[in-house]
Amino acid sequence: MIDTAREADVHVDINGRSHHHRVPVRLLLSDYIRDVVGLTGTHVGCEHGYCGACTVMVNGDAVRSCLMLAVQAHGADVRTVESLTADGTALSPMQQAFHESYALQCGFCTAGFLMTLESVDPDDWRDRTVELLSGNLCRCTGYQNIMAAVERAWGIERAGSRDAAGVGGEAHGDG
Amino acid sequence: MKPSAFDYARPRSVAEAVEALGSTEASRVLAGGQSLIPAMNFRLAEMSLLVDICDVDGLDTVSCDAAGVRVGAAATQTRVLDDADAAQAVPGLRATLRHVGHLQIRNRGTVCGSLAHADPAAELPALALASDALIGISGPRGRREVPAADFVTGPFTTVVEDGELVTDALFRRPPSGAVTVVDEVCRRAGDFALAGLVAVVEAQDGAVRTARLVGFGLRGVPTRMRNAEDVLAGWAGDHSIEAITDAVAADTTEVFDDTHAPGWYRRDAVTALVVRTVRSVLESHEAP
Repeated sequence: MIDTAREADVHVDINGRSHHHRVPVRLLLSDYIRDVVGLTGTHVGCEHGYCGACTVMVNGDAVRSCLMLAVQAHGADVRTVESLTADGTALSPMQQAFHESYALQCGFCTAGFLMTLESVDPDDWRDRTVELLSGNLCRCTGYQNIMAAVERAWGIERAGSRDAAGVGGEAHGDG
Repeated sequence: MKPSAFDYARPRSVAEAVEALGSTEASRVLAGGQSLIPAMNFRLAEMSLLVDICDVDGLDTVSCDAAGVRVGAAATQTRVLDDADAAQAVPGLRATLRHVGHLQIRNRGTVCGSLAHADPAAELPALALASDALIGISGPRGRREVPAADFVTGPFTTVVEDGELVTDALFRRPPSGAVTVVDEVCRRAGDFALAGLVAVVEAQDGAVRTARLVGFGLRGVPTRMRNAEDVLAGWAGDHSIEAITDAVAADTTEVFDDTHAPGWYRRDAVTALVVRTVRSVLESHEAP
């Protein structure tokens, strides 16, 4: 008979450090990162995969940490927003661009945006930045300054002022 | 907003998965979890045992042969989207997956999981119907293969029985020379469609030869639009679209009418998608 359990041992590397805990199998990865490991840079917004605030990288891919059980991350390499500033002070180039472009107001969504952006090769998405960021909601900025930050960090030429058609329209056309 | 308690099993083989699923009545299969875990967080879905099939040997494969592309139940949507061989064999896969969820969802979500979930607004069940997919199901009585046309029986409902799991899906190659177009109307890129269309169109001498049309987001199950298919056969884009409008109306007599979009809007939207799709195919066909 195959083993079933209500608790499981989880070994996971987070930002280069090994963590080992025995956790309830129903524990979400987002809650594991915040409440068990204590890294509160990852924010929990909607908890049903809509807002993207809890985006982290698992084995290099951006994922919603609220849509993954901690036990599913067993053996995985996880990166959170805390990994972007290696020494805890200097901002990463994308963080610096967010800072300079005023790409955040309340900051709740920012970690999710940063981890989505960190997970991709800019060359794959340079022409589809709106589509890339359509999975992260921001309720303050109206996205204009976030797009400006991405353009700044990725060295994208800004052709006149950005068409304010909204997040859905542009992505739909090429998606 | 936290899942209720359950037991968890991570089988290594299909046989183990079937055994685990059969060990209790309230068992559920977990693959990518991008629909199931939200439902668990809302406690819309509760189970006594969750059977995670992501470590089952051989289920994460994507293979191409003369018949088409066979996608294992643990293969993520990103994996299939990025597979150049799969995109060449069944172009509809890439065309469809570009509309599915967002990057973060596709990185976890599986193709077969989307079929098994059978959301009425989802793109992949419509592609399955348009490409005569064959869905592999394993259970206590062994393996069976179900054609897509018989697979979805209602909203969020399929022929998969308790104790069974979807192990793979074979998406068949389209007819040689056919063009597959996937288009949808939705409020935000990656959101579920208010109206969507998967079209497999063969054109010849500037006219449609055959068209296979499957609408989604219109009602509880993907909708094969046979009246519109009949009208389009031989259509050269040169006369009135009234016949198409009438045919689509006949194909969509039963359509969702809710706060997201009234029924007339969805019908209008899918009509526009049909016309736009066929025109674009004819135009690209004429181009040298």
